[in-house]
Parts: sequence; structure tokens; C-alpha cells
Amino acid sequence: MHALYLAWKYIIFNKIRTVTLVACVTLIAVLPLSLELLLNESERQLLSRAQTTPTLLGAKGSALDLVMNSLYFDDEVPELISMQAVEEVQASGLADPIPLYIRYKARRFPIVGTTIDYMDFRELHLAEGRQLAMLGECVLGANVAETLGLKPGDSLLSSPETVFDLAGIYPLKMKVVGVLRRSHTPDDLGVFVDLKTAWVIEGLVHGHADVSKVTDDTLIMQRNQNGVVASPKLLHYNEITEANIDSFHFHGDAGLYPLSAVIVIPNDEKSKTILRGRYLDKNARHQIILPEVVIDGLLENIFRIKNVLDAVILIVGLATILALLLVFALTIRLRQREINTIFKLGCSRMTIAYLLVNEILIILTLASLVCLGLLLLVNIYSSDIVRLLFIS
Amino acid sequence: MLMLCFIGVFAQIAQANARLTIYTVNYPLQYFAQRIAGEKAEVVFPAPKNIDPAFWSPDAKTIHAYQTADLILLNGANYAKWINKISLPRLRMVNTSRAFEKKYIQVQSGVTHSHGAGPDHSHTGIAFTTWLDMSLAIQQAEAIKNALIKKQPKFEAEFITNFKNLKNDLLMLDTELKKITKKNMNLNLFSSHPVYQYLANRYELNLQSVVWEPDVLPGPEEWKIFERKLQAHPATWMIWEAPPKNETLMWLRKVGINSLIFNPCANVPEAGDFLTVMHSNISELKRAY
Repeated sequence: MHALYLAWKYIIFNKIRTVTLVACVTLIAVLPLSLELLLNESERQLLSRAQTTPTLLGAKGSALDLVMNSLYFDDEVPELISMQAVEEVQASGLADPIPLYIRYKARRFPIVGTTIDYMDFRELHLAEGRQLAMLGECVLGANVAETLGLKPGDSLLSSPETVFDLAGIYPLKMKVVGVLRRSHTPDDLGVFVDLKTAWVIEGLVHGHADVSKVTDDTLIMQRNQNGVVASPKLLHYNEITEANIDSFHFHGDAGLYPLSAVIVIPNDEKSKTILRGRYLDKNARHQIILPEVVIDGLLENIFRIKNVLDAVILIVGLATILALLLVFALTIRLRQREINTIFKLGCSRMTIAYLLVNEILIILTLASLVCLGLLLLVNIYSSDIVRLLFIS
Repeated sequence: MLMLCFIGVFAQIAQANARLTIYTVNYPLQYFAQRIAGEKAEVVFPAPKNIDPAFWSPDAKTIHAYQTADLILLNGANYAKWINKISLPRLRMVNTSRAFEKKYIQVQSGVTHSHGAGPDHSHTGIAFTTWLDMSLAIQQAEAIKNALIKKQPKFEAEFITNFKNLKNDLLMLDTELKKITKKNMNLNLFSSHPVYQYLANRYELNLQSVVWEPDVLPGPEEWKIFERKLQAHPATWMIWEAPPKNETLMWLRKVGINSLIFNPCANVPEAGDFLTVMHSNISELKRAY
């Protein structure tokens, strides 16, 4: 007990040395353990999103791009497919398709063109406002609304694909009609619009003044019995209102309009197998993938990197432990006169050893407590940290 | 714990037995769906009366009702163009004419016009009164039956029985219409509005149409066009969607044209139901044949 008291007093007296030693020991323990916790959490988050998406249909190509764009709204847009893919899945009667068109952005947040089935599928609920109803409306994810300070009744402009796209599409002024409840998923970062609104942004669906009634001849290139050909000077509406919504129309075959992917929800396991079999043909233009498998592959790579990190941490840890041993050895040498005095006062060598061991134990205990506290904090905030690092 | 399990099971049973809410885009689909579903569903067609549902647009409250319905029955054939301008749950939408998409009739040209205070429109594109061909109406009813079975498989037997009864009624109409029109295959007819394409196609009517409204007197220009058409297509009868003005009737009689009413029944009838309206249409058609 006296040895512990003396060791404690010694440690308190040498504050800087104690703090340095505690910090070294804490870091050695906290780094790999925190990394483990964060990786487990990121694995859980990535997998839970993938696990709740049974299958994904898209153009043949990078499965990872397809999953990252469709599930996590990543910037890399996969090769586009058409609405025909949706019709094919629906006609099969084996699954329910939810089309996705994630290509454009509004003030750096992804515009997710889909149907309102997506809200039911992801169990997204409104925090305020109402569901999408008319063309040109949008519902915001919680983070988008918070970051941009938007609420129902406000408006949001879509952004051009590139700043050099001077002759490209007009930005669409979308009306914010609702804000989603926070879901702690990438959906918090989405600007949700009806698929048709996404096509309006692309210019495939548009509205303009009635060409049969315009009086400015420079707006008309050709007028004959078959119809009227408008000149590029004819301005398209960049906002959809009750007054002009009737003028919005589809150009070309709507069945060929683009999509980035289709979430396919098979009726059962058998339907899933049959459906997957249909897309196995080498000549098939589309692929059907299991997001869980793709994310598993991605995580395997992450864990391979983690193994390298673990090895680095292990080497650094060993070096630190050796350094600590050196510090203790040097400390004993520096304290030789003090140890001799204690010895002359009548303490046995065993008692002196006991005193030094107690000092080390106290440092280790303090380091363990700090380490525990830090790990507890990491554990509590792991989901937020992962979202901050990976999702936003 | 036991209580919670009990409540859970009870809630599931209640959900399984809950009445479906079905929204439709026209009256024939409402009628077919209600006949097939019986008490198992509440079938709503929310358009106001005295309006052509093909050119109607619902307000925000009605759109919300459509969005929350268990099933939304569409006619297909580009009917109700408002569907393209609003957000509806695609997975709950049923295009009842998908099975015969290849049989859609293309309308080559159409005059832009309006019905009373309704919006301007033309009938260019795809003809949409598919239900006037009873064989197609049966296919639409079958699509409704299949959608109902998918939604409530436990009532499959009841839905099938109800569908068979409806199919028999529609087959009787089909047979009767065929019988009547076969009496005089050379009879030329005019229709006041281009909405009878499927009827003419199925029952082989020699039909040409103008774009006249029952409540509006045709103008001098329209008369001229009509007289030119009459020379090329010497008809003795004109089919109207609703009773025309007396003046129009008199003018038509002067050029030897009689009038009959064949209500397409796109909206809820003033009296009776789809079958009674169709029987009345058949009686009217008999006058011409």
C-alpha cells in the first residue's frame, strides 16, 4: 500500500513524463481498436444499404459504379439504359421495378429521379411538407434542407452538368414541396424528383409557347401542313407552373428515355433466380447484380488495406513499446541515486522493484482508462463519423 | 409479451382483410373493378360529373388520394394525359389495356377544340375509348381481376367468379352489337365526335366523324365541311355522345340525317350503370339498322 502511495506521488510529481507515457500507451491501443470499430460500422452501413436492395439492373460495365451511383448517389454515372428495361422487368411478372435516374445535381447535391415507390421502398417519411405531386417539384433529404436552409415553398435550381455547357440545357427551377425525415442514409443527401422532372432537366420533356399561335416569325423555321418547326430561339420554360404545365410534352418515344439503373424487387427467391438467368447471356445489353455481393467485394479490398494498416500499426506499436522500455530503463538509471537512498533507508531490493512496478501499473491503468473513454466516444459516434467520412 | 404477440397477429389479420382502395381514371374501369372486387374494395372515380375524364386534371387533394390508393387503374392508350404530369406510384398502377397495346388505333388528324369550359384538346394520336369494343373491355376487366388477385390472393375464387359474371354480361353486349350491325353492313354513319374508333373497328361500322359538340351549333364552315363529307360518304344516321340541340337535329333532318345517342359512358351516368347505358345504346343503334 505504501509502495503504491509512493509510486502515485512520484507520478504526480513528474507530470510531463507521465502524460507523455500515458499518451504513448493510449495511442498504441486506441488507433487499431478505433480503426476496427469504424471499419465495422462502415461495413454495417454499407452492407445494410446493399442488403436492403435485392437486385439492381443497369448497363453492362462496372458493377461497382452502378452500385455506388444507385445506392450511394456517387458522382460516377454508369452507362445509361432506357425505360424499356423497366417495361421488360414489369412484363416478366417476376419482379417490381423502381427506375432511377441519378445524373444531375442541384447545388452539388444529387438529383434523384425516380417514382414515389422509392419512398415506400426505402421507408422514407416526410418531416414537413407533402409528397411529390406535379412535374417540376422536389422533395429534399434532411441534410440538403439543413445545409441549403430550404423548406417547403422555396425553390431550388438544377445545375448545368459542366460550367462550360453554355449551349446545354436550361437549369430548371424546382419547387420544394417537402423535406424528408432524417434516415441516416445517403437519402439524406438526395434531391428527389419525379423521373419525368429529371427528363425535363435533360430537355427531353419541355414546355414552350404554343408554336401554332406565336406571331414572331423568327421563332419559326418552317410552317407547313404537317406542322410547325420551331427555331432554337424559342425559349423553353425553366419553371413549371400551373399556368404552363399543360404546354409540357414528351419528345420522341418515352419508352426510350434514359435511366441510370433500376432497382428490381423480385417476388420471391425463385423469381430472382429466373430473372438473373435472363441477363446472363453474353449478348445481353443489361446486367442484373446483387449489390450485397458487390459491396462485399469492395469491403474485402478495404479489409486488405486494413491488414496493411494493422501491420504498420503493429510495427509502430512495437517500436513504441521498445521506446517505452528504454524510457523506463533510462529512468531507473537516472533515479539510481534515489534508489540507493531508498535502499540505505532499509528498503529491500524487492520493495524497490515493487515500487517501480506500481509506477508502471499506474501509468498503464491511466492509459487504459483514457483509452476506454476514447473508444467509448468512438463507439457512440462511430455511425456519425462514418457518415461524415464516407457518405458526406 | 403474449399480449403483444396477440396484438401483432391481430393487426396482420386485420391488414390482410382490409378493404382495398382503388382509384380509376374513368367510369368503365370503376364499374368493372367494383363488379369484380365486390365488397372487397372501395372503387373510386373522383372526376366531377358532366366532364370528359379524358381531358380532366385532378387537383392536389385528389392527386394525394390517387397516390395513397392501393391500386390505380389506368385505361392506357394515352387516356387521361394528366398522368404524365403528376407523380404516381408506378408499382400500384395497372395499365388495363397493356395486353392489346398493338391493337391501339392511331388517329391521323384532329381539330383542336374544347368541351364547354374544358381545356382545348385534339384527338390526334391514339384513340382511347377502348371499352366500346366489348372484346377489349373484357381484356381490361381481366387485367383488373389479375391485379386484384395479386393484391388479395386469398379472395382469388371470389374475384374469378365475379369476373366470369361480368365477362358474360360483356359477351352478351358483344354478341348483340355484332348481331345488329351485321343486319346492314353497307349502312353509312357519321359520328359527331371521333370517339367511336374501337366500336367501328369491332362491329364493322362504316363510320366517319366530324368534331361537333352536342351543346354547340355547328358553324357555317363546319356545315360546308360536313356537306362535302356527306357527298363522299352518303350516310343517313349520325351518332351523338349526348342529345344535340334541336336546331342541329332539324338541320340534319333537312339533309336526310337522323340522330341516335350512343353514350361512350366515360363518366358516371345520370341513371343506371355501364350495362344499362350500353343496353340503351344498343336500342338506339337498332333504330339505324
